[in-house]
Amino acid sequence: MLDRRQFIFQSLRSACLAAVAGSIPQLILPRAVYAAQDRVLVVRTGEDIPQLVRQTVAALGGMERFVKPGETVVVKPNIGWDRGVDLAANTHPLVVKTVVSLCLEAGAKKVQLFDRTCNDPRRCYVSSGIQQAISDLNSIQAELVYMDRRAYKELEISQGKAINRWSFYLPALEADRLINLPIAKHHSISTLTLGMKNLMGVIGGNRGMLHSKIAEALADINTVIHSDLTLIDATRILVANGPQGGRLEDVEVRNTLIASPQVVTADAFASTLFGYQPDQIETIVAGYRRGLGEIDLSRVQRL
Amino acid sequence: MSLSRKWRILVQSLTLLGFCWLFLQTEYRGTDELAYPVSLLFRLDPLALVSAFFASGKTDFILLWPAFLLLVLTIIFGRFFCGWLCPLGSLLDFLGAPLRRSQSRFSGWPKFKYYLLSALTLASLCGLQLFGLFDPLSIFLRSLTLAINPVWNLLANTTFDWLYQAKLPLISSTADVVYPFFRDHLLAFRQPVFLLTILTAFVFLAVILLERLQPRFWCRNLCPLGALLGLCSQPSRLQRTPQSDCSDCKQCSLQCYMGASAADSSHAAECIRCLDCLDFCPNQRVKFHFSKRGEKRFDLSRRTLLAASVGGVMLAPLAAAAPLSASYRNDLIRPPGATGESEFLRRCIRCGECMKVCIGGALHPDLLRGGAFSLWSPVVVARLGYCEYDCTLCGQVCPTGAIKSLEIKQKRQIKIGLAVIDKNRCLPFARGQECLVCEEHCPTGKKAITFDRHKDLVESEARDLLQPRVLKELCIGCGICETRCPVAGRSAIMIISEGESRAPQGLL
Repeated sequence: MLDRRQFIFQSLRSACLAAVAGSIPQLILPRAVYAAQDRVLVVRTGEDIPQLVRQTVAALGGMERFVKPGETVVVKPNIGWDRGVDLAANTHPLVVKTVVSLCLEAGAKKVQLFDRTCNDPRRCYVSSGIQQAISDLNSIQAELVYMDRRAYKELEISQGKAINRWSFYLPALEADRLINLPIAKHHSISTLTLGMKNLMGVIGGNRGMLHSKIAEALADINTVIHSDLTLIDATRILVANGPQGGRLEDVEVRNTLIASPQVVTADAFASTLFGYQPDQIETIVAGYRRGLGEIDLSRVQRL
Repeated sequence: MSLSRKWRILVQSLTLLGFCWLFLQTEYRGTDELAYPVSLLFRLDPLALVSAFFASGKTDFILLWPAFLLLVLTIIFGRFFCGWLCPLGSLLDFLGAPLRRSQSRFSGWPKFKYYLLSALTLASLCGLQLFGLFDPLSIFLRSLTLAINPVWNLLANTTFDWLYQAKLPLISSTADVVYPFFRDHLLAFRQPVFLLTILTAFVFLAVILLERLQPRFWCRNLCPLGALLGLCSQPSRLQRTPQSDCSDCKQCSLQCYMGASAADSSHAAECIRCLDCLDFCPNQRVKFHFSKRGEKRFDLSRRTLLAASVGGVMLAPLAAAAPLSASYRNDLIRPPGATGESEFLRRCIRCGECMKVCIGGALHPDLLRGGAFSLWSPVVVARLGYCEYDCTLCGQVCPTGAIKSLEIKQKRQIKIGLAVIDKNRCLPFARGQECLVCEEHCPTGKKAITFDRHKDLVESEARDLLQPRVLKELCIGCGICETRCPVAGRSAIMIISEGESRAPQGLL
């Protein structure tokens, strides 16, 4: 029999042991590395969004190239704002839905979606239409979840220039695959918000602090978070008052999808939709210098 | 335990749980309109009815019809609300039970609540509404919103977080399994944080601890709602016989925890129809039945009543003699749809429903911004939270029409204030650093925060800087810029009350 004192001491001892064990870092993190054969780009246009998504992904070699059976996948759309589909502030729900379907068809064990939103997450998930689109899939393997406050972890950024440490959302790093699904939009401080900026949705901390050196900070973050596929939704783009918009006058319908395994390559092409040259966008230049993709579109293989 | 007592405890528990359930539903749940009448408690509240009735402007009686119903039922059945339904009364019964002493000689001041009611009513009639400070339903919900719920969330979340991180065998995995249920049904979406938590908790604890002096001390001596219902119960034909202590037994005087039994029937208004006397009467003489009411009525001291009323009348000019807060400060921001300040203060019964429902965490209880008598009324503290552009929940829950219920289109047009930039601290102005976080978040379609390109010499290096500028005609004062400003501590962009829609003067 334990007396009370023994019980308390034993409990405290095991709690201390557990705490020590829990604090040993057990995580080996992916590092963003892109191979030369990833320097490919697909651009497709079409009005039927599900078909457009399928054509675009098929041109890259199909989702099977990126997602292997039994793998866990994170799909990261932009769900940042409490705005309806027509206002082009969030990734189109049909793009999201079709990409998730493709992942499931490729044999993904689980597809998780989330975003660290700017407005209230509950409102953003509903207004964007993405909550409904995912529930329409009727699959227990695909789930749109709110960020779990407990799952952020501060990590070293070994190649960091603007930031050396930042808090990251572990489920995004721990998944076997990460598919980046931004929408192409105007953004005052970084000129455009595309694939690299979309990954700000899987970091913690006070993100506003990154604005003072946004280009290098985004490149830093993208060296830690490796996305296997970047698919930019330019079915409709926001050309002014971004990133949250709110006026139909600022929305242009382009019926375009851009895809590349390299985030910078996809971003570089997307910038041309807004009339820029890729090297005019500081973020893209910074990303190119870190080896996150090709900035010179003439050196990219178009599929 | 007798049958009537079992029934009463059951009804009390169910109503208390019901109001707690409505409290948990006082939150955005995926639709713009709330699915349940979450502020039912205050729509039942006769004091809310009186406040709204005395305030200027049109009173929405459609909102407050349940309070009428309660008054009518009280006229028929007496003060049953206190004994069976009042959530604060039930809490006092449940939480106070261990505090109560078997023998208390304290006789209390049962008449005080009538004097308080008369002072509050007269003050309210003269323009100063203080019911909210003493309304037991407000005390209940305010304590739940500002103190109990935040503490509950903090404790639960800390425990779950700790178990999640510590990875204790068995315990942690069990906790992770039950966590989603807690998260979805019992915990707030985001940890609630409010100003005045300690003050609110202190008042609540004081009300509970008074049980030590006397069972139901609050209800017997202080509660103005109890006094109002007591007055209304006067014509009630539901009578108790015997109307006073029998000559051979003093059990009623000894045991009735409301002190409703006296030598004569003058304390009948104290009876909360708890029916416990059916149980403790050794001879089963006690009966409740409909009959002619007793002869003897209230014996309130006329002099004290007059003094209390005069005191109430005097309070109003005392409050009005202070300088208007709008005349010397600009940080008093009210929720969108709030009526003009004086009508607002007369309608708001400080229930805390709007603060509970506020999706952006913008609404906090006021201490002094709106003057000495604005205590616990809602103010927007934009550094802590912002008013969500497409959300109209605060107007939907307000039981008295202090905050009007708005359509989303109307709401987007309403200015609750104006953003102003503090150039001494704003990064592009003060330090030559890029920022524009405020511009990024500005929700007004055509943004109310724009920027100027400015060539500046920063540390002997020419830089092209984007400097924010507020377009005052477009700004609605939602405050997301102030919330999100990355500068530490006080924001470099702040909401002031200038140009708010409800005030007569416009923008300069």
